Amino acid sequence: MRQVRHLILLGVLLLVVAGCQGNFPADTQGTLDRATEGELRVGIAENAPWTEVAPDGSVSGTEVELLNDYAETIDAEIRWIPGGENVLAAEMKEGNLDLVIGGLASDVPWTSEIALTRPYATAQGPDGKPVYIVMGVRPGENALLVDLERYLAERAGEL
Amino acid sequence: MSSREPEAGEEDTGSGHDAFGAAQRDALQRAIRLEWITLAWMTGTVVLVALVAGQSQAMQAAWAEDMLSLLPPIAFLVATRRIRKQPDRLHPYGFHRSIGVAHLVAAIALLTMGGYLVFDSVMGLVTVDRPPIGLTVLFGHAIWSGWLMVAVMLVTSIGPVILGLKKMKLSEQLHDKVLYADADMSKADWTTAVATIAGVLGVGLGLWWADATAALLVSVSILRDGVKNLRGSIGGLTDAEARTYDESEPHPLTLQIEVRAGQEPWVGEAAARVRDQGHVFHAEVFVVPRPGVEPSVRQVADLRDRIHELDWKVHDVVVAPVPELPPRQTFRSTLRT
Repeated sequence: MRQVRHLILLGVLLLVVAGCQGNFPADTQGTLDRATEGELRVGIAENAPWTEVAPDGSVSGTEVELLNDYAETIDAEIRWIPGGENVLAAEMKEGNLDLVIGGLASDVPWTSEIALTRPYATAQGPDGKPVYIVMGVRPGENALLVDLERYLAERAGEL
Repeated sequence: MSSREPEAGEEDTGSGHDAFGAAQRDALQRAIRLEWITLAWMTGTVVLVALVAGQSQAMQAAWAEDMLSLLPPIAFLVATRRIRKQPDRLHPYGFHRSIGVAHLVAAIALLTMGGYLVFDSVMGLVTVDRPPIGLTVLFGHAIWSGWLMVAVMLVTSIGPVILGLKKMKLSEQLHDKVLYADADMSKADWTTAVATIAGVLGVGLGLWWADATAALLVSVSILRDGVKNLRGSIGGLTDAEARTYDESEPHPLTLQIEVRAGQEPWVGEAAARVRDQGHVFHAEVFVVPRPGVEPSVRQVADLRDRIHELDWKVHDVVVAPVPELPPRQTFRSTLRT
């Protein structure tokens, strides 16, 4: 019982602290702060029409456009890092990336390496079933996650 | 045995319900109602949590726990139906032991939940798992999913707090260890909910370890409850010395039975073997008559009735007059000093 009372006290304390703090939820490693007016490191896996990487390294696609627009809202410069999904997942785990795009579906197997946004678009899979399209965020960076999700929801007209 | 007929089901093996007095019958009815409410509440919780869980691992774990906590109420309800049956040729000791089996089921559910939570939270800390908690769009409004989880946890924990306290009280009255284990399960439910709230808010502050640490704190006590109940239920099923409803001490009735037998003028020495069959006890009382006294069948039967009157739990009593106490069958109550 004493333990429980401590927990409740801790919860109340956290609530108070949370209420006093401006940026909530916060990043565990301050990625959004760092990227704002700085650099956003985005891993890109080729998956047309969402993402395309030309032989000269230039990138295009609907998700590239979306992210370029998002980056403007936080005055960030994007550095594109092309690679396969599995390589990008490993890079994410090493902390070398902030975001991953590539027309990712909500059921990708990389959930322990990549935190997924809520679906921002729906496509049709080869079997005719709907596929929910998401983007990948560095896990624990919940300020960045929420900021990007809010932007995507606004663009999709959900808000 | 006795020269007069015992009232139907009152003094022999009987069904589980025959043993109860009016107070216990009433308590059992209330316990059954509480367990149905528990089932309904937890089912609602499972649905609600599944709706807000989404991809969050922490909430998925909470969902798995809620599923596990359905087991003890189900075990209780099945067992209380079983004990209504009368003993028959195939079941000469009656069906009281169903309660012991249900206790085992409940204990394992508790142990699994505690063990899983400890494992899950330790793994989360070791592998530096940073829980992502994103945005939810609710009726055109964006809200951080963490607030939603906190709200759901606050609402769903109300039931277990109230139900747990009520079940704990009834479990003592009924000497019902399934109900006791389920009260522990309710405690586990609401403490994990509180831990999730603390954890989610901690994650919101940017403390990635908050969720796992809060879960670890409460899961250790759940694991301890699981071990306590497992030991108790196995002890009961393997005819260990009868203990109180919360396993805290040997049951005082064993000593009371021995003392009561010793009060008969014709009894020299007495020792009892008492086993917990569920709600009720099965007692074998060995008595050594005073030197030169040959007790009549009537005297033995009367003693059996007197012992039976000690408590409703003393349900199935055998009195065996012996020339001397068999040393490997009688150990006397451990409460005797």
